[in-house]
Amino acid sequence: MACVDRLERLVNLVVALLDTRRPLTRDELRERVGGYSDDEEAFRRNFERDKELLRGMGLPLVAEPLDPLVPEGAVGYRVPKDLYELPDPGLDEEELMALSLAASAVSLDGAGAGPVTTALWKLAGGSSAPGASLAAGTRRAGPLADVPVDDTVAVVFSGVAARQRLSFGYNGERRLVDPYRLSYRQGHWYLSGYDHARCAERLFRSDRMTAPVGLEGGPGAFERPAGAPAGPPPPWRMGSDEEVVASLRVAPDHAAWVERVAGPESVTGRDHSGTYFELRVTNREAFRGFVLGFLDHAEVLGPPELREEMIEWLRAVGAGGVEVAR
Amino acid sequence: MSRPAAAERLARLLAIVPWVVAQDGPSVEEVCVRFGVSERELLADLNLLFMCGVYPFTPDSLIEVDVDDGRVWIRFAEWFRRPLRLAPQEGLALLAAAQAMLELSAAGAGTSGVEGPDRAPLASAVAKLAGVLGTSAGGTLQVELGEVAGDVLAIVEKAAGEHRKVRIEYYSFGRDVNTDRVVQPWRVFATEGHWYLLGWCERVRGRRLFRVDRVRSARMLDDSFVAPADIGPLTLYEGRPGDPLVVLDLAPGAAWVADHYPNEGVAAAGDGHLEVRLRVSSTAWLERLLLRAGPEVAVLAGAEGVGAAAARRVLALYDR
Repeated sequence: MACVDRLERLVNLVVALLDTRRPLTRDELRERVGGYSDDEEAFRRNFERDKELLRGMGLPLVAEPLDPLVPEGAVGYRVPKDLYELPDPGLDEEELMALSLAASAVSLDGAGAGPVTTALWKLAGGSSAPGASLAAGTRRAGPLADVPVDDTVAVVFSGVAARQRLSFGYNGERRLVDPYRLSYRQGHWYLSGYDHARCAERLFRSDRMTAPVGLEGGPGAFERPAGAPAGPPPPWRMGSDEEVVASLRVAPDHAAWVERVAGPESVTGRDHSGTYFELRVTNREAFRGFVLGFLDHAEVLGPPELREEMIEWLRAVGAGGVEVAR
Repeated sequence: MSRPAAAERLARLLAIVPWVVAQDGPSVEEVCVRFGVSERELLADLNLLFMCGVYPFTPDSLIEVDVDDGRVWIRFAEWFRRPLRLAPQEGLALLAAAQAMLELSAAGAGTSGVEGPDRAPLASAVAKLAGVLGTSAGGTLQVELGEVAGDVLAIVEKAAGEHRKVRIEYYSFGRDVNTDRVVQPWRVFATEGHWYLLGWCERVRGRRLFRVDRVRSARMLDDSFVAPADIGPLTLYEGRPGDPLVVLDLAPGAAWVADHYPNEGVAAAGDGHLEVRLRVSSTAWLERLLLRAGPEVAVLAGAEGVGAAAARRVLALYDR
């Protein structure tokens, strides 16, 4: 019962916020919306919860000073109509269905009405295409893939979409980045963008960004360069070690996989003992991990320093020289 | 955390109202089908809607809802001419799903077996959506579900859909051997950057999970099979209760191991070290972990000397 009352109150709250041109105070809203408790404390708590719920749904709830000349004075709330309304993307029935099918093939986390479901509701509600149905499923037993989308990625994406700067913590430092592109690869979201502190384009993994992750300044703050690299490079390219060209031999049974990851242009030759690769390495630790994943099916041939590093590492592990002192 | 029910109903209602307003009395059934909502839920929401409006809630300031003869009209709901704009998370989720399917079909799998929406309408839908979301220029969002080799993915997905057995040549990463097996494919899915095939392996007579990128070749057989109603959880790490128990010491840099793999207990061991107990089904898996982690991980019990032996075996390559 409480839920029904709350829904009614929420609809009235949205109506009141959309209906006004000037910001309304909390008490004005209490009067215009109805359904709030007479108890002051309970009212404040419920009002805060409602506000949070609406913002969570993406409602552009603006809080502004009642008197523009007194910015530090009391605040009021409203929802500007132009920010509320979904522009018509002009989807036809077939396009709406294709989106719905794609959404059913990919699970984006969360039970119940996740962001994909609510997005499809909105598109179905705003499109005049007749006959579309969100109820139609596929014969598949479950989703074909999952692509988790969390709040951090959503913020990053809004930065990419609006060309708005992002600020976040990364490796213990605050970064200010012009977000260019977002890509999902090998189970992680990567942002590529211009890092202001480093004055260069860098790649960031979203799950390594630390709070607060937020937008800085207004939209359209920079131009996205055209034709920049498509996606994140392989792990051994993701670092700032001095670049070396490593030559690698991979046993015949395992070479196809390396070729897929490194690209066919990295192959320099083949014989009965395997396929030979040249890889440009800027992250030696990642390179070592990659090579060791092949156990005794891959060997670093050069340059001598890299080969020597690998031998030393293996000797240390082989000597069991890593006793745990306790 | 799941969305509270009120938020879900509100989100749905704010989408349904503009559409009903724009139509001339659509049928209740039409609305239900379009929004994937049951008639009972819809009527409950509509019943509530007609008590909503603006202060002072006199009849002329309320939204008007008429349900008559199986049709529904909504009037005086000027505030809700359009649905609420897409939140970034919604826009991203939708584009990511669409982009994933597009890239899949570009890889050749979508057209030849993996069931998905048609490519052309999906591509144009993505372009239109991107316009609304401001990502207009292409290439700002990429979604790659996993490396796929040739037509293997399409073959196993088709076989799973048609309940036909497949013969696969498989490289077992855990045991470091190649095998030839007949598998009853139950499910094909992508997660954490890789494609997997879950099914019954006739060779070992057991439920097994295969990485599709390690299937060297696949051929669909004429034999069909019946998949169990409950295929069980889709867990990636297949340590089984009967597997040997290994106790590892993790230095702070290797603490992720305790988070990443299901285990039978983690305890703090001083100096920021953790002691973790794992069921290890394959020696090669443990070898890789120990070789890569080097000094960060040490075996305390259960597999003493495994890392050192593996290191010496790899080192033999370098002694020539």
